[in-house]
Amino acid sequence: MNTDELIELVKLHGKSIYGFCYQLTGNKEDTDDLYQETFLKAVELRRKLDVSRNPKAFLISIAIRLHQNHRRKLAWRQRIAPTAGLDEAANKPGSFASEATPEEAVLSLELRTMLENAASQLDDKIKLPLYMYYTADMTVEEIALALGIPAGTVKSRLFKARKTMRQVLEVDSP
Amino acid sequence: MKNDDLEQILRQALASKAEPDETLNNSLIEKIKERSQMKQAYRRKLSVGLLAAVLLLVLSVSAYAATQLFSPKQVAEHFGDQLLAEAFDSKDAIEINQSKNSGDYRFTLHGIVSGAGLSAFEHSSEEIYSDRTYAVVSIMRQDGEPMPSTADDEYGKVPFFISPLIKGQEPWRVNIVTMNGAYNEAVIDGVMYRLIECDQVEVFADRGVYLAISSGSTFFSKEAFKYDAATGEIHVNENYAGAALLFDLPLATAKADEEKAESYLKKLLNPTPEEPSDEEMEMQSWIDSLRAKIRNGEEIGETIADSIKEVTYDDSGNIVYTYENRSATILLENLFEEGQVGFTDRRLSVSGEGKVYQAVLFHKDENGVITGRIVILDEENNPK
Repeated sequence: MNTDELIELVKLHGKSIYGFCYQLTGNKEDTDDLYQETFLKAVELRRKLDVSRNPKAFLISIAIRLHQNHRRKLAWRQRIAPTAGLDEAANKPGSFASEATPEEAVLSLELRTMLENAASQLDDKIKLPLYMYYTADMTVEEIALALGIPAGTVKSRLFKARKTMRQVLEVDSP
Repeated sequence: MKNDDLEQILRQALASKAEPDETLNNSLIEKIKERSQMKQAYRRKLSVGLLAAVLLLVLSVSAYAATQLFSPKQVAEHFGDQLLAEAFDSKDAIEINQSKNSGDYRFTLHGIVSGAGLSAFEHSSEEIYSDRTYAVVSIMRQDGEPMPSTADDEYGKVPFFISPLIKGQEPWRVNIVTMNGAYNEAVIDGVMYRLIECDQVEVFADRGVYLAISSGSTFFSKEAFKYDAATGEIHVNENYAGAALLFDLPLATAKADEEKAESYLKKLLNPTPEEPSDEEMEMQSWIDSLRAKIRNGEEIGETIADSIKEVTYDDSGNIVYTYENRSATILLENLFEEGQVGFTDRRLSVSGEGKVYQAVLFHKDENGVITGRIVILDEENNPK
Protein backbone atom coordinates (compact mmCIF):
# COMPACT_ATOMS: atom_id res chain seq x y z
CA MET A 1 0.00 0.00 0.00
CA ASN A 2 1.46 3.38 -0.91
CA THR A 3 1.31 6.66 0.98
CA ASP A 4 -1.60 8.03 -1.04
CA GLU A 5 -3.66 4.94 -0.34
CA LEU A 6 -2.89 5.28 3.36
CA ILE A 7 -3.98 8.92 3.32
CA GLU A 8 -7.14 7.79 1.56
CA LEU A 9 -7.73 5.40 4.49
CA VAL A 10 -7.63 8.36 6.89
CA LYS A 11 -10.42 9.98 4.91
CA LEU A 12 -12.37 6.80 4.41
CA HIS A 13 -12.16 5.14 7.82
CA GLY A 14 -10.89 8.00 10.00
CA LYS A 15 -14.28 8.66 11.52
CA SER A 16 -15.04 5.09 12.57
CA ILE A 17 -11.47 4.48 13.79
CA TYR A 18 -11.62 7.68 15.84
CA GLY A 19 -15.06 6.79 17.24
CA PHE A 20 -13.75 3.37 18.20
CA CYS A 21 -10.63 4.84 19.83
CA TYR A 22 -12.85 7.20 21.78
CA GLN A 23 -14.86 4.31 23.18
CA LEU A 24 -11.62 2.64 24.26
CA THR A 25 -10.01 5.65 25.89
CA GLY A 26 -13.00 7.73 26.96
CA ASN A 27 -11.39 11.14 26.48
CA LYS A 28 -10.40 13.37 23.61
CA GLU A 29 -6.72 13.73 24.44
CA ASP A 30 -6.01 10.01 24.58
CA THR A 31 -8.26 9.43 21.57
CA ASP A 32 -6.25 11.89 19.48
CA ASP A 33 -3.04 10.09 20.49
CA LEU A 34 -4.33 6.59 19.90
CA TYR A 35 -5.88 7.59 16.58
CA GLN A 36 -2.65 9.08 15.30
CA GLU A 37 -0.51 6.25 16.63
CA THR A 38 -2.77 3.74 14.90
CA PHE A 39 -2.27 5.29 11.50
CA LEU A 40 1.42 5.87 12.04
CA LYS A 41 1.81 2.23 13.01
CA ALA A 42 0.00 1.42 9.78
CA VAL A 43 2.66 3.42 7.93
CA GLU A 44 5.28 1.03 9.29
CA LEU A 45 3.18 -1.95 8.37
CA ARG A 46 1.97 -0.64 5.05
CA ARG A 47 3.72 -3.32 3.05
CA LYS A 48 1.53 -5.88 4.77
CA LEU A 49 -1.54 -3.78 4.20
CA ASP A 50 -3.56 -4.45 1.07
CA VAL A 51 -6.34 -2.09 -0.03
CA SER A 52 -8.34 -4.92 -1.52
CA ARG A 53 -8.27 -6.90 1.71
CA ASN A 54 -9.67 -5.30 4.78
CA PRO A 55 -7.70 -2.22 5.82
CA LYS A 56 -10.38 -1.14 8.31
CA ALA A 57 -10.17 -4.40 10.26
CA PHE A 58 -6.40 -4.13 10.14
CA LEU A 59 -6.45 -0.58 11.50
CA ILE A 60 -8.87 -1.51 14.28
CA SER A 61 -6.66 -4.43 15.28
CA ILE A 62 -3.69 -2.03 15.48
CA ALA A 63 -5.71 0.37 17.65
CA ILE A 64 -6.66 -2.45 20.05
CA ARG A 65 -3.09 -3.66 20.33
CA LEU A 66 -1.74 -0.15 20.96
CA HIS A 67 -4.42 0.53 23.54
CA GLN A 68 -3.69 -2.72 25.39
CA ASN A 69 0.04 -2.00 25.35
CA HIS A 70 -0.60 1.48 26.65
CA ARG A 71 -2.79 0.18 29.48
CA ARG A 72 -0.17 -2.37 30.43
CA LYS A 73 2.45 0.36 30.63
CA LEU A 74 0.10 2.60 32.57
CA ALA A 75 -0.64 -0.15 35.08
CA TRP A 76 3.04 -0.77 35.51
CA ARG A 77 3.73 2.93 36.01
CA GLN A 78 0.90 3.20 38.51
CA ARG A 79 2.42 0.42 40.57
CA ILE A 80 5.67 2.33 40.93
CA ALA A 81 4.14 5.81 41.08
CA PRO A 82 0.54 5.51 42.26
CA THR A 83 0.01 9.28 42.35
CA ALA A 84 -0.13 9.39 38.57
CA GLY A 85 -3.40 7.55 38.72
CA LEU A 86 -5.89 7.34 35.92
CA ASP A 87 -8.82 9.54 36.78
CA GLU A 88 -11.67 7.19 36.03
CA ALA A 89 -14.40 9.72 36.60
CA ALA A 90 -12.93 12.23 34.20
CA ASN A 91 -12.55 9.51 31.62
CA LYS A 92 -16.11 8.35 31.53
CA PRO A 93 -17.39 8.33 27.97
CA GLY A 94 -20.35 10.47 27.17
CA SER A 95 -18.87 13.93 27.41
CA PHE A 96 -19.51 14.26 23.68
CA ALA A 97 -23.15 13.33 23.95
CA SER A 98 -24.11 16.95 24.40
CA GLU A 99 -22.88 17.63 20.88
CA ALA A 100 -25.74 15.60 19.44
CA THR A 101 -28.28 17.71 17.60
CA PRO A 102 -31.79 17.62 19.09
CA GLU A 103 -32.92 15.35 16.24
CA GLU A 104 -30.24 12.85 17.07
CA ALA A 105 -30.88 12.91 20.75
CA VAL A 106 -33.63 10.35 20.46
CA LEU A 107 -32.20 8.37 23.28
CA SER A 108 -32.29 10.26 26.49
CA LEU A 109 -28.92 11.34 27.73
CA GLU A 110 -29.50 9.34 30.89
CA LEU A 111 -30.22 6.13 29.03
CA ARG A 112 -27.30 6.67 26.75
CA THR A 113 -24.88 7.29 29.59
CA MET A 114 -26.24 4.27 31.41
CA LEU A 115 -25.64 2.03 28.40
CA GLU A 116 -22.23 3.53 27.78
CA ASN A 117 -21.23 2.93 31.38
CA ALA A 118 -22.53 -0.62 31.30
CA ALA A 119 -20.61 -1.26 28.08
CA SER A 120 -17.40 0.25 29.40
CA GLN A 121 -17.52 -2.04 32.43
CA LEU A 122 -17.76 -5.18 30.33
CA ASP A 123 -14.83 -7.52 30.08
CA ASP A 124 -12.55 -6.71 27.12
CA LYS A 125 -13.42 -10.03 25.50
CA ILE A 126 -17.02 -8.95 25.19
CA LYS A 127 -16.54 -5.21 25.06
CA LEU A 128 -14.25 -5.11 22.03
CA PRO A 129 -16.60 -6.97 19.66
CA LEU A 130 -19.47 -4.81 20.94
CA TYR A 131 -17.68 -1.55 20.11
CA MET A 132 -16.39 -2.94 16.86
CA TYR A 133 -19.87 -3.91 15.78
CA TYR A 134 -21.86 -0.92 16.98
CA THR A 135 -19.33 1.89 17.07
CA ALA A 136 -16.97 1.03 14.24
CA ASP A 137 -19.78 -0.51 12.18
CA MET A 138 -17.81 -3.64 11.38
CA THR A 139 -19.26 -6.94 10.22
CA VAL A 140 -18.91 -10.14 12.22
CA GLU A 141 -16.37 -11.33 9.64
CA GLU A 142 -14.34 -8.15 9.94
CA ILE A 143 -14.30 -8.45 13.73
CA ALA A 144 -13.23 -12.09 13.47
CA LEU A 145 -10.44 -11.01 11.17
CA ALA A 146 -9.25 -8.17 13.37
CA LEU A 147 -9.32 -10.18 16.59
CA GLY A 148 -8.03 -13.36 15.01
CA ILE A 149 -10.88 -15.46 16.37
CA PRO A 150 -13.53 -17.51 14.54
CA ALA A 151 -16.70 -15.73 13.38
CA GLY A 152 -18.78 -18.08 15.56
CA THR A 153 -16.92 -16.89 18.64
CA VAL A 154 -17.55 -13.27 17.67
CA LYS A 155 -21.26 -14.03 17.33
CA SER A 156 -21.45 -15.68 20.73
CA ARG A 157 -19.56 -12.78 22.37
CA LEU A 158 -21.89 -10.29 20.71
CA PHE A 159 -24.82 -12.35 21.93
CA LYS A 160 -23.48 -12.18 25.51
CA ALA A 161 -22.90 -8.44 25.18
CA ARG A 162 -26.44 -7.83 23.91
CA LYS A 163 -27.83 -9.97 26.70
CA THR A 164 -26.04 -7.89 29.31
CA MET A 165 -27.14 -4.63 27.71
CA ARG A 166 -30.72 -5.88 27.52
CA GLN A 167 -30.62 -6.66 31.25
CA VAL A 168 -29.40 -3.14 31.95
CA LEU A 169 -32.29 -1.74 29.95
CA GLU A 170 -34.92 -3.99 31.46
CA VAL A 171 -33.82 -3.41 35.04
CA ASP A 172 -33.64 0.36 34.71
CA SER A 173 -36.61 0.98 32.45
CA PRO A 174 -39.29 -1.60 33.14
CA MET B 1 -38.22 -5.59 24.08
CA LYS B 2 -37.84 -6.69 20.48
CA ASN B 3 -34.41 -7.55 19.09
CA ASP B 4 -34.77 -4.83 16.49
CA ASP B 5 -35.43 -2.22 19.16
CA LEU B 6 -32.39 -3.35 21.11
CA GLU B 7 -30.28 -3.18 17.95
CA GLN B 8 -31.46 0.34 17.34
CA ILE B 9 -30.86 1.48 20.90
CA LEU B 10 -27.39 -0.03 21.00
CA ARG B 11 -26.48 1.54 17.68
CA GLN B 12 -27.57 4.92 18.96
CA ALA B 13 -26.03 4.61 22.38
CA LEU B 14 -22.70 3.21 21.26
CA ALA B 15 -22.26 5.19 18.08
CA SER B 16 -19.55 7.64 18.92
CA LYS B 17 -20.30 11.27 18.25
CA ALA B 18 -16.58 11.93 18.48
CA GLU B 19 -14.94 12.74 15.21
CA PRO B 20 -11.37 13.59 14.31
CA ASP B 21 -11.19 17.29 13.65
CA GLU B 22 -9.78 18.67 10.44
CA THR B 23 -6.52 19.89 12.00
CA LEU B 24 -5.87 16.51 13.59
CA ASN B 25 -6.38 14.77 10.26
CA ASN B 26 -4.21 17.26 8.44
CA SER B 27 -1.38 16.91 10.91
CA LEU B 28 -1.78 13.13 10.76
CA ILE B 29 -1.57 13.16 6.97
CA GLU B 30 1.61 15.26 7.19
CA LYS B 31 3.11 12.79 9.65
CA ILE B 32 2.16 9.88 7.42
CA LYS B 33 3.97 11.53 4.52
CA GLU B 34 7.05 12.17 6.68
CA ARG B 35 7.20 8.69 8.11
CA SER B 36 6.68 7.07 4.75
CA GLN B 37 10.01 8.49 3.71
CA MET B 38 11.81 6.92 6.63
CA LYS B 39 11.20 3.34 5.49
CA GLN B 40 14.49 1.76 6.49
CA ALA B 41 14.73 3.08 10.01
CA TYR B 42 11.25 1.96 10.90
CA ARG B 43 11.41 -1.43 9.33
CA ARG B 44 14.31 -2.29 11.58
CA LYS B 45 12.36 -1.23 14.63
CA LEU B 46 9.59 -3.71 13.97
CA SER B 47 9.44 -6.08 16.88
CA VAL B 48 9.34 -9.82 16.38
CA GLY B 49 6.07 -10.05 18.24
CA LEU B 50 4.41 -7.59 15.96
CA LEU B 51 5.78 -9.34 12.90
CA ALA B 52 4.26 -12.58 14.10
CA ALA B 53 0.96 -10.84 14.71
CA VAL B 54 1.02 -9.36 11.23
CA LEU B 55 1.86 -12.72 9.76
CA LEU B 56 -1.07 -14.28 11.60
CA LEU B 57 -3.35 -11.53 10.40
CA VAL B 58 -2.22 -11.92 6.80
CA LEU B 59 -2.79 -15.67 7.01
CA SER B 60 -6.28 -15.23 8.34
CA VAL B 61 -6.98 -12.63 5.69
CA SER B 62 -6.37 -15.16 2.93
CA ALA B 63 -8.61 -17.72 4.60
CA TYR B 64 -11.26 -15.08 5.09
CA ALA B 65 -11.15 -13.92 1.50
CA ALA B 66 -12.85 -17.11 0.35
CA THR B 67 -16.01 -16.41 2.35
CA GLN B 68 -16.00 -12.68 1.74
CA LEU B 69 -18.53 -10.91 -0.43
CA PHE B 70 -17.86 -10.69 -4.12
CA SER B 71 -15.81 -7.77 -5.35
CA PRO B 72 -17.20 -5.33 -7.94
CA LYS B 73 -14.91 -7.00 -10.47
CA GLN B 74 -16.39 -10.42 -9.74
CA VAL B 75 -19.92 -9.04 -9.87
CA ALA B 76 -19.28 -7.46 -13.28
CA GLU B 77 -17.82 -10.78 -14.42
CA HIS B 78 -20.93 -12.53 -13.18
CA PHE B 79 -22.99 -10.30 -15.45
CA GLY B 80 -20.71 -11.25 -18.32
CA ASP B 81 -19.18 -7.79 -18.61
CA GLN B 82 -15.46 -8.48 -18.74
CA LEU B 83 -14.72 -4.94 -19.87
CA LEU B 84 -16.41 -3.47 -16.80
CA ALA B 85 -14.73 -6.08 -14.57
CA GLU B 86 -11.38 -4.77 -15.77
CA ALA B 87 -12.52 -1.20 -15.15
CA PHE B 88 -13.37 -2.09 -11.53
CA ASP B 89 -9.91 -3.61 -11.24
CA SER B 90 -8.19 -0.53 -12.65
CA LYS B 91 -6.58 2.39 -10.81
CA ASP B 92 -9.54 4.64 -11.66
CA ALA B 93 -11.91 2.51 -9.63
CA ILE B 94 -12.65 3.50 -6.05
CA GLU B 95 -12.91 0.60 -3.66
CA ILE B 96 -15.25 1.55 -0.84
CA ASN B 97 -16.47 -1.55 1.02
CA GLN B 98 -18.56 0.31 3.55
CA SER B 99 -21.50 -1.38 5.22
CA LYS B 100 -24.51 0.05 6.97
CA ASN B 101 -27.53 -1.58 8.52
CA SER B 102 -31.02 -0.30 7.99
CA GLY B 103 -34.39 -1.96 8.34
CA ASP B 104 -33.94 -5.72 8.07
CA TYR B 105 -30.93 -5.43 5.84
CA ARG B 106 -27.24 -4.84 5.73
CA PHE B 107 -26.12 -2.86 2.72
CA THR B 108 -22.56 -2.77 1.47
CA LEU B 109 -21.30 -0.28 -1.05
CA HIS B 110 -18.44 -2.15 -2.69
CA GLY B 111 -16.98 0.19 -5.24
CA ILE B 112 -17.48 2.67 -7.98
CA VAL B 113 -15.87 3.47 -11.30
CA SER B 114 -16.53 6.20 -13.86
CA GLY B 115 -15.49 6.77 -17.42
CA ALA B 116 -16.38 6.37 -21.06
CA GLY B 117 -16.66 3.04 -22.86
CA LEU B 118 -16.18 1.04 -19.66
CA SER B 119 -18.95 -1.47 -20.23
CA ALA B 120 -19.36 -4.04 -22.96
CA PHE B 121 -23.08 -3.30 -22.88
CA GLU B 122 -23.72 0.13 -24.20
CA HIS B 123 -26.62 2.15 -22.83
CA SER B 124 -28.69 4.05 -25.39
CA SER B 125 -27.92 7.38 -23.69
CA GLU B 126 -24.18 6.93 -24.24
CA GLU B 127 -24.57 8.55 -27.63
CA ILE B 128 -25.33 11.79 -25.78
CA TYR B 129 -23.24 11.37 -22.61
CA SER B 130 -20.43 8.92 -23.17
CA ASP B 131 -19.18 9.10 -19.56
CA ARG B 132 -20.98 6.87 -17.11
CA THR B 133 -20.66 5.87 -13.46
CA TYR B 134 -20.99 2.26 -12.31
CA ALA B 135 -21.33 1.08 -8.72
CA VAL B 136 -21.85 -2.26 -6.99
CA VAL B 137 -24.00 -2.61 -3.88
CA SER B 138 -24.84 -5.80 -2.03
CA ILE B 139 -27.84 -6.44 0.17
CA MET B 140 -28.15 -9.16 2.74
CA ARG B 141 -30.60 -9.83 5.50
CA GLN B 142 -29.49 -9.02 9.04
CA ASP B 143 -31.14 -12.13 10.43
CA GLY B 144 -28.87 -14.29 8.28
CA GLU B 145 -31.71 -15.60 6.12
CA PRO B 146 -30.80 -15.64 2.42
CA MET B 147 -32.25 -13.04 0.07
CA PRO B 148 -34.81 -14.68 -2.23
CA SER B 149 -33.22 -15.91 -5.44
CA THR B 150 -34.35 -14.40 -8.73
CA ALA B 151 -36.31 -17.60 -9.47
CA ASP B 152 -38.18 -17.35 -6.16
CA ASP B 153 -41.74 -15.96 -5.99
CA GLU B 154 -40.61 -13.73 -3.16
CA TYR B 155 -37.97 -12.10 -5.33
CA GLY B 156 -38.63 -8.43 -5.95
CA LYS B 157 -41.46 -8.26 -3.38
CA VAL B 158 -39.32 -5.80 -1.47
CA PRO B 159 -38.06 -3.46 -4.16
CA PHE B 160 -35.02 -1.27 -3.56
CA PHE B 161 -34.12 2.19 -4.78
CA ILE B 162 -30.36 2.58 -5.16
CA SER B 163 -29.19 5.81 -6.68
CA PRO B 164 -26.57 8.51 -6.56
CA LEU B 165 -28.03 11.81 -5.33
CA ILE B 166 -26.32 15.15 -5.66
CA LYS B 167 -26.03 17.61 -2.84
CA GLY B 168 -27.91 20.79 -3.70
CA GLN B 169 -30.16 19.11 -6.25
CA GLU B 170 -33.73 18.10 -5.50
CA PRO B 171 -33.42 14.33 -5.27
CA TRP B 172 -36.79 13.65 -6.88
CA ARG B 173 -35.56 15.51 -9.96
CA VAL B 174 -31.98 14.31 -10.09
CA ASN B 175 -31.61 10.61 -9.42
CA ILE B 176 -30.75 7.39 -11.22
CA VAL B 177 -34.02 7.47 -13.17
CA THR B 178 -33.53 10.95 -14.59
CA MET B 179 -29.79 10.43 -15.04
CA ASN B 180 -30.34 7.72 -17.69
CA GLY B 181 -29.81 4.98 -15.15
CA ALA B 182 -30.12 1.24 -15.30
CA TYR B 183 -29.26 -1.73 -13.11
CA ASN B 184 -28.53 -5.43 -13.14
CA GLU B 185 -29.33 -7.63 -10.22
CA ALA B 186 -28.26 -11.12 -9.16
CA VAL B 187 -28.56 -13.18 -6.00
CA ILE B 188 -25.47 -15.22 -5.27
CA ASP B 189 -25.19 -17.37 -2.12
CA GLY B 190 -28.14 -15.55 -0.55
CA VAL B 191 -26.65 -12.11 -1.12
CA MET B 192 -28.22 -9.74 -3.59
CA TYR B 193 -25.81 -7.77 -5.75
CA ARG B 194 -26.91 -4.79 -7.73
CA LEU B 195 -24.78 -3.19 -10.41
CA ILE B 196 -26.11 0.29 -11.06
CA GLU B 197 -25.11 2.67 -13.80
CA CYS B 198 -26.06 6.20 -14.79
CA ASP B 199 -24.57 9.32 -16.33
CA GLN B 200 -21.19 10.15 -14.82
CA VAL B 201 -21.46 11.77 -11.37
CA GLU B 202 -17.77 12.52 -10.74
CA VAL B 203 -18.26 15.98 -12.25
CA PHE B 204 -20.23 16.74 -9.06
CA ALA B 205 -17.43 15.54 -6.76
CA ASP B 206 -16.86 19.00 -5.27
CA ARG B 207 -20.55 19.45 -4.46
CA GLY B 208 -20.87 16.13 -2.67
CA VAL B 209 -22.54 13.01 -3.99
CA TYR B 210 -24.52 10.54 -1.91
CA LEU B 211 -25.45 7.00 -2.68
CA ALA B 212 -29.00 6.59 -1.41
CA ILE B 213 -30.67 3.28 -0.70
CA SER B 214 -34.26 2.74 0.36
CA SER B 215 -36.64 -0.18 0.38
CA GLY B 216 -40.29 -0.19 -0.61
CA SER B 217 -39.99 1.25 -4.10
CA THR B 218 -37.69 1.20 -7.10
CA PHE B 219 -38.17 4.96 -7.35
CA PHE B 220 -37.16 7.88 -5.18
CA SER B 221 -39.36 8.12 -2.10
CA LYS B 222 -40.09 11.42 -0.39
CA GLU B 223 -41.03 9.39 2.69
CA ALA B 224 -37.59 7.80 2.93
CA PHE B 225 -35.49 10.94 2.46
CA LYS B 226 -35.77 14.60 3.33
CA TYR B 227 -34.27 17.35 1.24
CA ASP B 228 -33.14 20.50 2.99
CA ALA B 229 -33.53 23.19 0.36
CA ALA B 230 -31.59 25.70 2.46
CA THR B 231 -28.40 23.65 2.75
CA GLY B 232 -28.92 21.32 -0.18
CA GLU B 233 -28.32 18.39 2.14
CA ILE B 234 -30.27 15.19 1.90
CA HIS B 235 -31.14 13.31 5.07
CA VAL B 236 -32.67 9.98 5.88
CA ASN B 237 -36.12 10.24 7.37
CA GLU B 238 -35.59 8.44 10.69
CA ASN B 239 -39.29 7.60 10.91
CA TYR B 240 -39.37 5.80 7.59
CA ALA B 241 -40.83 2.34 8.08
CA GLY B 242 -38.48 0.55 5.67
CA ALA B 243 -34.77 0.68 5.14
CA ALA B 244 -33.27 4.05 4.22
CA LEU B 245 -29.66 5.14 4.34
CA LEU B 246 -27.08 7.32 2.66
CA PHE B 247 -23.43 6.73 1.89
CA ASP B 248 -21.12 9.61 1.00
CA LEU B 249 -19.40 8.73 -2.24
CA PRO B 250 -15.67 9.37 -1.79
CA LEU B 251 -15.16 10.80 -5.27
CA ALA B 252 -11.92 12.55 -6.12
CA THR B 253 -12.63 16.28 -6.04
CA ALA B 254 -9.96 16.70 -8.71
CA LYS B 255 -12.43 15.08 -11.11
CA ALA B 256 -15.07 17.73 -10.42
CA ASP B 257 -15.97 19.84 -13.43
CA GLU B 258 -18.19 22.76 -12.63
CA GLU B 259 -18.80 23.66 -16.25
CA LYS B 260 -19.78 20.17 -17.34
CA ALA B 261 -21.88 19.73 -14.20
CA GLU B 262 -23.82 22.92 -14.86
CA SER B 263 -24.45 22.21 -18.50
CA TYR B 264 -25.52 18.65 -17.65
CA LEU B 265 -27.97 19.85 -15.00
CA LYS B 266 -29.32 22.50 -17.31
CA LYS B 267 -30.22 19.90 -19.91
CA LEU B 268 -31.54 17.49 -17.33
CA LEU B 269 -33.75 19.99 -15.54
CA ASN B 270 -35.00 21.85 -18.64
CA PRO B 271 -35.42 19.22 -21.31
CA THR B 272 -36.28 20.65 -24.71
CA PRO B 273 -39.82 19.52 -25.44
CA GLU B 274 -40.18 17.09 -28.29
CA GLU B 275 -41.68 18.48 -31.46
CA PRO B 276 -45.31 17.43 -31.60
CA SER B 277 -46.16 15.06 -34.43
CA ASP B 278 -48.45 16.09 -37.28
CA GLU B 279 -51.19 13.96 -35.77
CA GLU B 280 -50.89 15.71 -32.43
CA MET B 281 -50.91 19.09 -34.15
CA GLU B 282 -54.12 18.18 -35.96
CA MET B 283 -55.78 16.98 -32.77
CA GLN B 284 -54.76 20.16 -30.99
CA SER B 285 -56.12 22.42 -33.71
CA TRP B 286 -59.37 20.43 -33.72
CA ILE B 287 -59.77 20.86 -29.94
CA ASP B 288 -58.84 24.55 -30.27
CA SER B 289 -61.53 25.06 -32.92
CA LEU B 290 -64.12 23.37 -30.69
CA ARG B 291 -63.12 25.59 -27.79
CA ALA B 292 -63.41 28.70 -29.93
CA LYS B 293 -66.94 27.71 -30.92
CA ILE B 294 -67.94 27.09 -27.31
CA ARG B 295 -66.47 30.43 -26.31
CA ASN B 296 -68.45 32.18 -29.04
CA GLY B 297 -71.64 30.47 -27.90
CA GLU B 298 -71.95 28.39 -31.07
CA GLU B 299 -73.67 25.00 -30.95
CA ILE B 300 -71.19 22.19 -31.53
CA GLY B 301 -73.68 19.35 -31.58
CA GLU B 302 -76.86 17.86 -30.17
CA THR B 303 -77.28 17.72 -26.41
CA ILE B 304 -78.54 14.47 -24.86
CA ALA B 305 -81.50 15.85 -22.88
CA ASP B 306 -81.27 13.23 -20.09
CA SER B 307 -77.66 14.07 -19.52
CA ILE B 308 -78.29 17.64 -18.30
CA LYS B 309 -77.71 17.36 -14.59
CA GLU B 310 -76.59 19.57 -11.79
CA VAL B 311 -73.17 18.58 -10.59
CA THR B 312 -72.45 17.35 -7.07
CA TYR B 313 -69.41 18.09 -4.91
CA ASP B 314 -67.10 15.63 -3.23
CA ASP B 315 -65.45 16.04 0.20
CA SER B 316 -62.54 17.95 -1.28
CA GLY B 317 -64.88 20.41 -3.00
CA ASN B 318 -64.29 18.97 -6.47
CA ILE B 319 -67.10 19.01 -9.00
CA VAL B 320 -68.45 15.56 -9.78
CA TYR B 321 -70.52 14.85 -12.85
CA THR B 322 -71.79 11.38 -13.70
CA TYR B 323 -73.92 10.24 -16.60
CA GLU B 324 -74.33 6.55 -17.40
CA ASN B 325 -70.79 5.20 -17.58
CA ARG B 326 -69.08 8.56 -17.87
CA SER B 327 -67.81 10.38 -14.86
CA ALA B 328 -65.74 13.49 -14.38
CA THR B 329 -64.20 14.96 -11.23
CA ILE B 330 -62.74 18.43 -11.70
CA LEU B 331 -61.46 21.15 -9.41
CA LEU B 332 -63.92 24.09 -9.54
CA GLU B 333 -61.19 26.67 -10.10
CA ASN B 334 -60.02 24.74 -13.13
CA LEU B 335 -63.44 24.89 -14.72
CA PHE B 336 -64.70 28.44 -14.24
CA GLU B 337 -62.97 31.71 -13.62
CA GLU B 338 -64.46 33.82 -10.90
CA GLY B 339 -67.65 35.45 -12.11
CA GLN B 340 -67.69 33.44 -15.32
CA VAL B 341 -71.15 32.32 -16.48
CA GLY B 342 -72.36 30.28 -19.46
CA PHE B 343 -70.52 27.35 -21.04
CA THR B 344 -66.89 26.97 -20.21
CA ASP B 345 -64.15 26.03 -22.64
CA ARG B 346 -61.47 25.77 -19.98
CA ARG B 347 -61.81 22.01 -19.73
CA LEU B 348 -63.03 20.08 -22.68
CA SER B 349 -63.19 16.33 -22.65
CA VAL B 350 -64.06 14.70 -25.95
CA SER B 351 -64.18 11.00 -26.65
CA GLY B 352 -65.34 8.80 -29.47
CA GLU B 353 -64.31 7.11 -32.66
CA GLY B 354 -65.46 6.78 -36.23
CA LYS B 355 -68.35 9.17 -36.74
CA VAL B 356 -69.63 9.55 -33.18
CA TYR B 357 -67.84 11.95 -30.84
CA GLN B 358 -69.15 13.09 -27.49
CA ALA B 359 -68.07 16.08 -25.46
CA VAL B 360 -68.77 16.82 -21.81
CA LEU B 361 -69.74 20.48 -21.37
CA PHE B 362 -70.21 22.44 -18.17
CA HIS B 363 -72.48 25.42 -17.79
CA LYS B 364 -72.81 27.89 -14.94
CA ASP B 365 -75.89 30.12 -14.60
CA GLU B 366 -76.21 33.51 -12.90
CA ASN B 367 -77.09 31.83 -9.60
CA GLY B 368 -73.87 29.83 -9.67
CA VAL B 369 -75.59 26.53 -10.40
CA ILE B 370 -73.30 24.31 -12.45
CA THR B 371 -74.75 21.71 -14.77
CA GLY B 372 -73.00 19.14 -16.88
CA ARG B 373 -74.21 17.69 -20.18
CA ILE B 374 -73.13 15.36 -22.95
CA VAL B 375 -73.16 16.72 -26.46
CA ILE B 376 -72.94 14.49 -29.53
CA LEU B 377 -70.83 16.47 -31.95
CA ASP B 378 -72.19 17.41 -35.33
CA GLU B 379 -70.37 15.51 -38.05
CA GLU B 380 -68.76 18.71 -39.34
CA ASN B 381 -67.17 19.14 -35.93
CA ASN B 382 -65.60 15.66 -35.91
CA PRO B 383 -61.84 15.45 -36.34
CA LYS B 384 -60.74 15.43 -39.97
